[in-house]
Amino acid sequence: MSAAPPGSTPARTPDACANGIHPGRSPLRRLTRFEYNNTVRELLGNASSPANSLPPELLGNGFGNDADEQPTSSFLAEQYGVVAAEVASAALASPTVAERYAPCINSTTQADEAQCAETFIGSFASSAFRRPLLPEDTEALTHLQQQVRAVSTFEDSLAAVIEAVLQSPDFLYRVEHGEVDASNPELRRPSGREMAARLSYFLWGSMPDEELALAADSGQLQTADGVREQAARLLDDPRSRRVVEYFFDHYLPMNTLGDLSRDPAQFPTFSNRIGQLMRQETRNFLQYQIFDGPGSWDSILTAPYTFVNQELADFYGIDGVTGDEFQRVDTDPSRRLGLLTQGAITVGTTISNFTNPVRRGGFLLRHILCVHVPDPPPEFADDATPPDPYSGATGRERYSLHSEQAECAGCHALLDPPGFALENYDAVGLWRDQENGVTIDASGNLPGLGGAFSGPIELIEQIAASPQTHACFAEHWATFAYGRDLGAADACTIAEVEDAFARAGHDVKQLLIQLTQTDAFLYLPAPNSEETL
Amino acid sequence: MPAFRLSRRALLRGAGSVAVALPWLEAMGPTPSAHAQSGSLAQRFLAVYQPGGTVLDRFRPSGGETDFTLSPILSPFQPIVDKLLIVENLDMASAVGEQHQAGIVALLTGTPQNQQRGGFAGGPSIDQVLAKRVGAGRPRASVEMAIRWATGKSHGLLHPINSMTFADDATYSPISPRLNPAEIFDSLFGNLDEDSSAGENVAVTRRASILDYLDRRYETLSQRLGAADRVKLEEHLDRVREMEEGLQALADLETSSCSPPTLVDTSDYNPQSGLNADDNGAIVDQSSDAAIPKVGKLMMDMMVTAMACDLTAVGTLQWSDTEAKHTFPWLGLSEHHHYYQHDGGFRPEECAQIATWYSEQHAYLLQQMDAVQIGDHTLLDESVVFFGSELQDPPTHTKNNMPFLLAGGGGGLRGGRRLRFANQSHNDLLLSILHLFGDERSSFGAPQYSSGPLAGLA
Repeated sequence: MSAAPPGSTPARTPDACANGIHPGRSPLRRLTRFEYNNTVRELLGNASSPANSLPPELLGNGFGNDADEQPTSSFLAEQYGVVAAEVASAALASPTVAERYAPCINSTTQADEAQCAETFIGSFASSAFRRPLLPEDTEALTHLQQQVRAVSTFEDSLAAVIEAVLQSPDFLYRVEHGEVDASNPELRRPSGREMAARLSYFLWGSMPDEELALAADSGQLQTADGVREQAARLLDDPRSRRVVEYFFDHYLPMNTLGDLSRDPAQFPTFSNRIGQLMRQETRNFLQYQIFDGPGSWDSILTAPYTFVNQELADFYGIDGVTGDEFQRVDTDPSRRLGLLTQGAITVGTTISNFTNPVRRGGFLLRHILCVHVPDPPPEFADDATPPDPYSGATGRERYSLHSEQAECAGCHALLDPPGFALENYDAVGLWRDQENGVTIDASGNLPGLGGAFSGPIELIEQIAASPQTHACFAEHWATFAYGRDLGAADACTIAEVEDAFARAGHDVKQLLIQLTQTDAFLYLPAPNSEETL
Repeated sequence: MPAFRLSRRALLRGAGSVAVALPWLEAMGPTPSAHAQSGSLAQRFLAVYQPGGTVLDRFRPSGGETDFTLSPILSPFQPIVDKLLIVENLDMASAVGEQHQAGIVALLTGTPQNQQRGGFAGGPSIDQVLAKRVGAGRPRASVEMAIRWATGKSHGLLHPINSMTFADDATYSPISPRLNPAEIFDSLFGNLDEDSSAGENVAVTRRASILDYLDRRYETLSQRLGAADRVKLEEHLDRVREMEEGLQALADLETSSCSPPTLVDTSDYNPQSGLNADDNGAIVDQSSDAAIPKVGKLMMDMMVTAMACDLTAVGTLQWSDTEAKHTFPWLGLSEHHHYYQHDGGFRPEECAQIATWYSEQHAYLLQQMDAVQIGDHTLLDESVVFFGSELQDPPTHTKNNMPFLLAGGGGGLRGGRRLRFANQSHNDLLLSILHLFGDERSSFGAPQYSSGPLAGLA
């Protein structure tokens, strides 16, 4: 096992995209808890995030949406029923929700209730299934409604319909039968409604809206340009912001920020409240950069400003900020530059009262540069524990064993330099020039990057300038967008996305739009190719 | 309809009080013969997982096969030792992979981690194999529960570091355990609470109609999909059919003398706490940690009751996961289990203290099972209960001489003994357990680690 230095990933064959269309695999996707919650919010006005009581997803591709890692346990199948029952009961308790699908619902009499049920089924189920109903759908759901009506109330029979629909494969799974591409009869592409769902689940984490359904039905989504136009519209809608937030919550070490504790004697001004504010800082910063500001990944990595409120500004030692609202403030560009110097990163990668350069370096390598660094070989795993925190004055001294032992040096020549460069940020993310009275040496050289750097700011500048960084970011988004691990069959898609990202000046919104313009997004694999690809 | 009927309101009146011994203890008859089932097949299987191994020199009993003295760690089993079989000197050879993950993945499967399948198992776990064999005709083929689960770097997600049970189908998918004690109570016992049989009929008809719809829909749609996607919907269809069978079984359930355990208040316990867990346990959920004994007892009580009431015949119970990044405030241990194992340097005193506490819990579980009278024998007598961990020695992660325990009398299993083997692969133990249930296959798990059943269990 050896770690490839940055920039040495196998060169993409320049003809990765030669010989026609390369859709890659397109396994059946199931709604994640995030998507289920968003969908029932829009479908039935249920904002209670009911899917949180489903069992957790598998980690899979890192975003919990890996279509190849979605088994169905008995518990999950049963819990879908429990959640659906809660949602149905809440929907029917609200006069407006049911009325949306059948205005007759609150004034129905025994004489006309069958007709009202039919109206409700036709309208609700087609919204939930994200497609027009087939006669067999209507027939089956009407049969169910009548069976329940025979033993229970009219309202309860509609509740049963809602429960059945929410457990149906047409709702839980993103079924794509595809259709023949009119201009290339040998190719298949998602149908208009299937494409509408691809777009809305990627960019909103939820079901299509009416305009998207209309665009689908008018044939607009049969062309790449039509898809692009709708993608741009969806990105301009506030609903896209929650997807961007979900992505970064999984891409960056932000999960634990709200729960971190530090020794109050060593770090009297830190509390888990500060950790929560740091998460808010980074979320606000990213939303601004991507949706309202310059928009590029370079600018995110090198912005000489951040977003703080008074409490967090006091913690960081920034003057002139008052109130609870987060506001943009300039940072000292010799000390803080962009995302990777924010507390969310430096503190989120620190899990004790002592900084761990290996952990920080590992995050930068794996997540920001996509350098594969293997875990320590099993024979060393037991020794691969953090050193005694009092074994040296500085992180570099404590972690010196790595470079002395040949077995470790191979990987740690990569892991340690970026970690040592961040040693100027202490365990709560505050700047320090010294540790234990010894001046911190944050200089280093990461093979394959940009040569020697003197400290964190130069490292950040090198990272931001490296094509590897941008390719890595694009690959993470592709992995998330397509809901699976990318493989050799995706070489063309990855190359297309990376090229387009570079051409767009690394603009994040453009990247998201470009992800809807690939073969993987616009086409389906040939019917018999799924197993072999 | 079942004569067995429970009122949810009556149950909820008990909420907030401390759980007391299961009600049927009061009606307990004379102790039946431990070997009442000798010669007949085992009927129930329960596997219990304890993280972090043991301290071997405080685990091993001293003495011969039947005339032995329990070790300090095993001393809590004294009251039930006649039905305990200490299975010594087996090696978990099939645990190939990451040092903790490979252990829990192999524990019930006998397979190395499958790197093509996310590091999960390369075969089914025996509980799922047995669920097919003895689970039929019961409302649930199996019930999986876990306490203080997914504590570390899995952040509450299903991960090879916390997965013990794997489906007995072509996917060997990991199965998420149930975590929320109040929800488990409701789903296991809440269906039996209708006040009138008319009301119950409505609920059953309604559920049956929805399941019937789903059955048809999953079947129809799956047949229209390509092979890979079809497998996925067919898996879901299988689960729907299980629920239909379970509903039928519930309707057919005959009268029983059992009643559900007391539902204690667990509002101080966050079953989702793992979502906020941290790789090295720096995040401590003190309230949930402190509630572990109470929640664990409730989980055990619910598991025993589910079996006693014939709601299931197969179960698994996980005490935490292999990271075990939770503390033990009731033992005065403020660091997490992994810290005592090796993160903070091996602490044999603390590890033994923790292992002994788990022995106490397991002894309680076995005693409860032995207090359920079924005809002329007890629930434990017709069961096989397996107790194990993902490794033997905490600091080295060694997986030889595993600290495995069997209990019960199912299939003629004979307790009151310690059996010392010659470091055979634990796959052979898994295979032997299958044989106690009448599954006479000749190999289980990865074949290179399976040579044949062990002698002398029955």
